[in-house]
Parts: sequence; structure tokens; C-alpha cells
Amino acid sequence: MTSGFALAMAGASACANEFNPDISLVLDGTYKSQDTALQNSEKGFSLGHTELTIEAPVDDLFHGRLSAVLEDHEGETEINMEEAFLETTALPYGLHVKAGRFLSGIGYLNGRHTHEDDFSERPAVYRALLGSHYFDDGINASILMPTDVYWTISAEAFDGKQMSGQSHDESVGVYTLSTKVGGDFNTENSWQVGASYLHNRLTELENEEEEHEDEHDHGHDDHAGHSHDVEYQGKHLYMLDAVWKWAPNGNAKEEQLKLTAEYLLAKDPNQYATSDDFQQGWYFSSSYKFQPEWTVSARVGQVDLSEAHGDHFHQQKLDEANLALTWSRSHFSLIRMMYTHQSSDDFDNDGSALSLQYQMTLGAHGAHQF
Amino acid sequence: MRINSKLYRVLLGLFIGLLSIKSHAALNVFACEPEWKALIEILGKERVDVVSATNAFQDPHYIEARPSLIVKLRRADFLICTGADLEIGWLPLLLKKSGNQKVLPSQLGHFMASDFVKRLEVPHRHDRSDGDVHAAGNPHVHLDPQRLLLIATELKNRLTQVEPEHERFYEDNYQAFKTRWLSNMDRWKQKTKPLMSKEFIVYHRNWSYLFDWLSLKELADLEPKPGVPPNSRYLTALLSKTDSTQAKGILVSNYQNPKAAHWLSERTALPVITLPFTVGANDDVQTLEGLFDAIIDQLLTNGEK
Repeated sequence: MTSGFALAMAGASACANEFNPDISLVLDGTYKSQDTALQNSEKGFSLGHTELTIEAPVDDLFHGRLSAVLEDHEGETEINMEEAFLETTALPYGLHVKAGRFLSGIGYLNGRHTHEDDFSERPAVYRALLGSHYFDDGINASILMPTDVYWTISAEAFDGKQMSGQSHDESVGVYTLSTKVGGDFNTENSWQVGASYLHNRLTELENEEEEHEDEHDHGHDDHAGHSHDVEYQGKHLYMLDAVWKWAPNGNAKEEQLKLTAEYLLAKDPNQYATSDDFQQGWYFSSSYKFQPEWTVSARVGQVDLSEAHGDHFHQQKLDEANLALTWSRSHFSLIRMMYTHQSSDDFDNDGSALSLQYQMTLGAHGAHQF
Repeated sequence: MRINSKLYRVLLGLFIGLLSIKSHAALNVFACEPEWKALIEILGKERVDVVSATNAFQDPHYIEARPSLIVKLRRADFLICTGADLEIGWLPLLLKKSGNQKVLPSQLGHFMASDFVKRLEVPHRHDRSDGDVHAAGNPHVHLDPQRLLLIATELKNRLTQVEPEHERFYEDNYQAFKTRWLSNMDRWKQKTKPLMSKEFIVYHRNWSYLFDWLSLKELADLEPKPGVPPNSRYLTALLSKTDSTQAKGILVSNYQNPKAAHWLSERTALPVITLPFTVGANDDVQTLEGLFDAIIDQLLTNGEK
């Protein structure tokens, strides 16, 4: 065993650069043939979510993360902070606390970064009711229940400014409560279902302000994609989500099928709303990775909306279907072609569009959630 | 009063009973790969209750941080994985989501096998244009029996630290394993003498440690870059550049797609040798010993020709 001695190595020297924070930059760009209703990216060439993220363990109890997004708005570059939070790593009893600015954990897609998606844009219902992804300043406390099946319960309190797009006097503008249950059906099949509730205390407040600046509630489509505040609100937002994943032998490298569905219902848009005035929508998406580098995805969805105009509402409806083909050379790069077809009641620029997107990750590439 | 003291005694009895159940309970172990499940079961026998996060048909680079895995890690007293960034795409998330202090890095319950051996192919430059190279070097250390024995030694030391009261138990199991393993290694070395310096075409750098131990040579890799799947343009170039008459065969792991290997095999007449990569790959490979027996037999059938 003399040769064996030379093969031994001290454990401490395993990772020399663990003291450096992980830095990652996502480059994202799109070409789109036509404008579409409730869009995130505009017709022509545009830069999407250019995202710079720095994260690292702070000490043995805390982990910190900053994520800044650079967006181009009418020729000027804006830097938006999307995430700046600390989270605990070692609380007992399965407890976990997050504080600062972060993506709300409601629904299936909301807590995920857009660059993990299989489509160039979030489903129409997310774009309308959550501004694509709802993040805000606040605190999240969650618990992983000591059960055999995966079960988490999570509560959040947010300022609400990112939801209403305006400053306000409330100390807490938005509360959420959500739960997720998940497991493996067998080696090949895994599932997760979730239910969430979001209470928005700012729906009436915003309406009062809108009376003073009346142009604000018209022509929302013009600045879609730049402001993250939510266009269609509700005092009570209910969400249901379900995801199913299949891979032969559970080996997701070669082949994988993902099915996702969500339903959202927002009630009481403001104090003038009757029981007929509400927002609701759903989507169903499936993605099939048929080769290590290739994924084909299809999604259908619908939103029924009540656009507030002071004390009355405009009913709107949008149907959307997407078909996407994604080529991914490695973990770090992807090029995607997506076809969008929309038909609507009362949207100006609904139509069909073809888009071409790239997304490149430089530096560290974090693990993806289920 | 009498009833109370009786109740008190019953409760105390129950409490002591619970405590003793706990002290006899097995150590819950979360193994990232089946080879580490096999190793810790050799050393821990009935004292460990092990779940493996992956099976032999899954590529350990590409595992999803599934809800079921979060629950399993939450229950674990001990975590044993390869390390060297092999599980970077899923283990950090599992650790974060499960919130289990016992298995966090720097805890006794966090054991990364490749930390304890010298790793091959540690890159001099970190550039993604070289593919998905692991900055910490090639992580597939379990396919060298010498390194595996070193890891077993470290694992025995660690288990003794976790459960000092069972030092004798772990030491005895380890010594029995060591004796058996050393004689196996002699046997395998004897058997594979005719293979020395023979060349093979590989698919991913899965076999570097096996080659290092048996002094085999890697003639070419079906992957253009580590982590980048084979494509026809690269394979055509490989076919024209490589003098395949030198090679003895094309090695693929049981969990890999053999298409590229068969393509090359049809054009070179080289045999495709499907090797079990870890324990559980087939009915004959249910132990670490069986794994090396199967690999060596497969190589000999083709390599001696």
C-alpha cells in the first residue's frame, strides 16, 4: 500500500475558491416579429433580462444573494434590484427564514427565475396578474413538515410597492400563505402540487390615487415589460399549481417529460367591484426533452380580465398558445425559437408572433428547483 | 397520590424506553450514489440505514432536486457523496431546502469521498470553452480500488467520530473489509496483466481512475468536450483522425446512450463494451466486489483479442 499513500489527500484543500462568492451573469436577447398583447418583449431586437447575481454563504447561519437586472427602457439603461436577501441555513425543526427583497414563493413559476423557463415569456395569466414574476421587500418564513411525504408551509409579508407600483402608507401591503406537497410516484415519475393565497391590501388605495392621475389606467400595453407592477389586481388572489415529471429510469439527462398546470383567480379588484368583476386564468404546459440538447415545449392558456376604469370595469379575454423549440449546447447556453398565437376580446395588439431568443450564463450556474 | 406516582413511573419507563430505542436505532444515511451506499453498508452493517439518492441508471451529474430527496435528506444523520462538484447541480439545493444541520458542510455528518484522495485531471485553466470541466478535477474516484480503500479508511474514522461508543464495531468491520479487499486487488491485478497499456475509446471521462489503476490508455473520447454530447461532425473527424486499429473497444457506461458508440463501432469494427458504472447496474453487480469483477471480465473478453 505504499503507492496508496501518494493517493491520499487532505480534505481541507478540496475547494480552494469556496471563499469567493459565486458570480453569474445571464445574457438574454430576443428578436420578435410582432408585438403581442400583454407582452414582455417588444417587436424587433431587444435585450431581455440581463441578470447579474452574486451569492455566497455569509457564515454558518446565513446565506446572502443579490440579483440585479439591467433593462433597457426607451434608450436608457435601468438597473433594477430583483433580489437582495439573506436566508437562514441552519434553523432547527425544518424552519427557514428569508428577508429582504426576493421572489415570492407563491405558485409554481413565480419563485423561479425566468431563465429556467421553457418559453421566452411567462404565461399570459402570470404577465397580467403577477407582472410576470412578483418580487417585493419583505420576509418569508417557511417550515418543512416532519412528514414522510414532502410538505412545506410558507408565509410571507411584503411591503406591496412592487404589486401596486406606488408608494403607500401601509406597513404591510401584501400577505401570502402557500403550501406544497410532493413526492415520487416511482423511480420514473415525480410530482408536486401547491396551493397559494395572496392578500393584497392596496387595491383600494391604488384606485384612489388613480382618480388623480387618470391616464395611468389606460394604455397599459404601452409600457408592458418595463414596469413590474401588476396590471390587473385583486384583493384576494388564489392559486393552484401542479407539476409532473417523467424520465426513463429517472435519468433526466437523455429524455424527460414535464407537465405543468396552474390556475389563478383574483377577486375584488377594487371597492367598486361586484361579484362579476374578477380576474382569472390558467395555463397548461408540456415540455419534452427528446435528446440531451433538444427540448420541444407547448403551452396553452387563457385569461379573463376586468380592467378597472374608476368605478366601472372593462371585460377582456385573451387566449394564447405557444410552441417552442430549445437547443441547449451545455448547461450554460440556449437558443430558442417560439411561435405565439393569440386571440382576444378587447386587446389591441393580439396576434401571432415568431421570436428567437438566446440566453447565455457566464460564471456559476445555480441548481434548479424541481 | 399513588395513582400519580404510578403514572409517573409508567411515563418514566416509557421515556427511558424511547431513549434506549433511539440509542439502538440505526444511523440514517443519505448516499448520493449507489457505490457509497455499498461502502457504508460494509462498514456500518446493521448499524446503518441507507438510502441512495440515485440508481445505477441515472447520470449523477443530472439529478433533479426532487421533493422526495429533500425529505430523505432531512431525515439523515449522515451524508456521503462523491463531492468534487459532481453533485453541484442538485446537492446544494437539497442541503438548503432540507435545513438539516447535521449534514451541512463542516459537520461530522458531511462526508465527501473525493476530498480524501488525489484527484486526476485537475484543470490548469478554468474556461468553459473546454466544456463542463470540474475545477476540482475528475470526480469519478470510486473506480480505483486503491483510492476506494483510502476512502473506506477515512469513512471508518469518521463514523467512529460520529459514534465513538461503536469504535470497536466499525474497526472490526473495516479490518475484515481491508483484508478481503487487498486480496481482491491482488487477484484483479494478476488477472488484468494482459490488459496493461491497452488502448480504449471512452465516452466521458468516467474511467480515468480505473485506467490509472490498471495502466490502461484512453485513445479518444466520444464527447467533443466534457458534458457536450457526441455529434456526427465530431465523430466523423474522430474516425478519420484516430487510428482505431490500436484500440480494443469503445467503453460506455450502462446509463449512457450507446448510439454514438454503435455508430463508431459500425465503421471501425471495434466492439462496444458496456460496463457497469456502479453497484446495481445489473443482477451480477450487487456489491463493490461484484462491480470490479464485472468490469474486469468485460474488459478481458474484448481486450485480450
